[in-house]
Amino acid sequence: MIGGDAETYSAIWATLRVSGYSMGCSLIIGVPLGFCLGYFDFRGKRPLRTVVDTLMALPTVFIGLLVYAFLTRSGPLGNFGLLFTLPGIAIGQTILALPVVIGLTAAAVESMDQKLRIALMSLGANRRQLFLSSLWETRHGILAGAIAAYGRVMTEVGISMMVGGNIKWHTRTITTAIALETNKGQFGMGIALGLVLLAIAFCVNVSVSLLRKRY
Amino acid sequence: MKHAYGGRMVLSIEHLTFAKASIIGLRGPNGSGKSTLLRLLGLIEKPVEGAILFNGQAVEPFSPEARFRISLLPQEPFLMKRRVFGNVAYGIKLRGDVADVTERVHEALSLVGLSHGDFVRRPWYALSGGEAQRVALAARLALRPNVLLLDEPTASVDIPSAELIREAAFKAREKMGTTLVIASHDWQWLYEVCDQVFHLFKGKILGTGRETILFGPWRRVDSGMWGRRLGDQQFIVASRPPSDEAAAIIHVGSIGEDNARVDEDDAVLKGTITRINLERNSGKLFATIVVGDQNFIVGLTQRQTQERTLFPGKEVFIHYCLKTIRWV
Repeated sequence: MIGGDAETYSAIWATLRVSGYSMGCSLIIGVPLGFCLGYFDFRGKRPLRTVVDTLMALPTVFIGLLVYAFLTRSGPLGNFGLLFTLPGIAIGQTILALPVVIGLTAAAVESMDQKLRIALMSLGANRRQLFLSSLWETRHGILAGAIAAYGRVMTEVGISMMVGGNIKWHTRTITTAIALETNKGQFGMGIALGLVLLAIAFCVNVSVSLLRKRY
Repeated sequence: MKHAYGGRMVLSIEHLTFAKASIIGLRGPNGSGKSTLLRLLGLIEKPVEGAILFNGQAVEPFSPEARFRISLLPQEPFLMKRRVFGNVAYGIKLRGDVADVTERVHEALSLVGLSHGDFVRRPWYALSGGEAQRVALAARLALRPNVLLLDEPTASVDIPSAELIREAAFKAREKMGTTLVIASHDWQWLYEVCDQVFHLFKGKILGTGRETILFGPWRRVDSGMWGRRLGDQQFIVASRPPSDEAAAIIHVGSIGEDNARVDEDDAVLKGTITRINLERNSGKLFATIVVGDQNFIVGLTQRQTQERTLFPGKEVFIHYCLKTIRWV
């Protein structure tokens, strides 16, 4: 790191890019879905919650296998040429993060105080404002869900390895690099990369904590 | 207007009208439907049957004609996860009156007795229960509503906060002509401040609140009458109830100096005057008389008022007519 090893920085950059893509997609899709799941009462809500909660424990290698099967040249999405690319890994990581974001957003919304609705309506909120303000009021819970999802995305190996192929300069992420270095017997390098991962997680958590304090 | 939760009818009111800029009181035991009525009037929920008219126009939740004009302050203060300014300014911003938002927040906080400088930047978690309730009231007053519905506004706050909340609500009425609808257990206070008081019981309006509700079990006594013991072992007689557990609605007619029955339908109980209040609307005095563990309210006659022979602590006899007892 200190010596400015280009290969290491490439892996860090790949990790940040791919986790950025997957977190962006999972939050855009997952927060509205999670909010609806927690906010509205509808038939089949309970079983759906159970399905989402179960999907939170999806094994990364299983997701990797499924995405590989879809993206491989003979697979249904083979024409897009996404196998062994960062967007390909991002698809897999989005599938990994989505149940976490949906499930924890729904839980945050369900635990929202019913008095909030009365307070907002008493102050003149219309349906759209009620929805947006309720979403804003559950921001801390949603943020907690996003951090949990980010933790899973950042630390997974299965998807990155199977869908990305661990190609140097292209799809090698920090976690796949650690796996490779460990296989090579370079434990010191593996530990150093692990510490980098930890440092990134620390920076993210500090930023989120500052955001929470401010808003 | 009728309202039900899960198929169980909780409110059934045939007709109710509130005059503009009046102060209306709602009294009744827990579960009598006061909060439900306020939620319906506050357009938080829609009644399952019937309609609510505001200035002659039918309104329901999210009606543009009534948004910002009718506001409900629930019993327990609830503030959004924002600073005091954000909470008080929320409704004003929704309304789009952003030009003078700071002055409006300042004015509303002053009305509830909170210093703008000290409180405006405080986060929601740094407020006491009484302060939170006052901030919640300020958020509603900032909207300058036509109707302000207060659900037990002082039940969960200390005495100074309660006094400030009451004062703020009455100032709003004076300054903005706001109609106040107040649900409270403190019925003596309601009589003192309200133009009209409604007594709710089991989702229905029993009357103007002077009634005493007596719960069973009732048992048959000699001479074909029914009755039950009160806390001080006196026996209260009543007409035949529809069931042993029915509740009797008793309206006391007068206070007398002796226990002589006026006629065969007259019944007498001995009690002690605990309080004499002035009824705001009529300007008449009424006395609260405790018999055992029950309170009875009786209006004083002009003569009794002038002679000043009645005072708290005095033992008196109250008369009620057996024929006027209603059963619920």
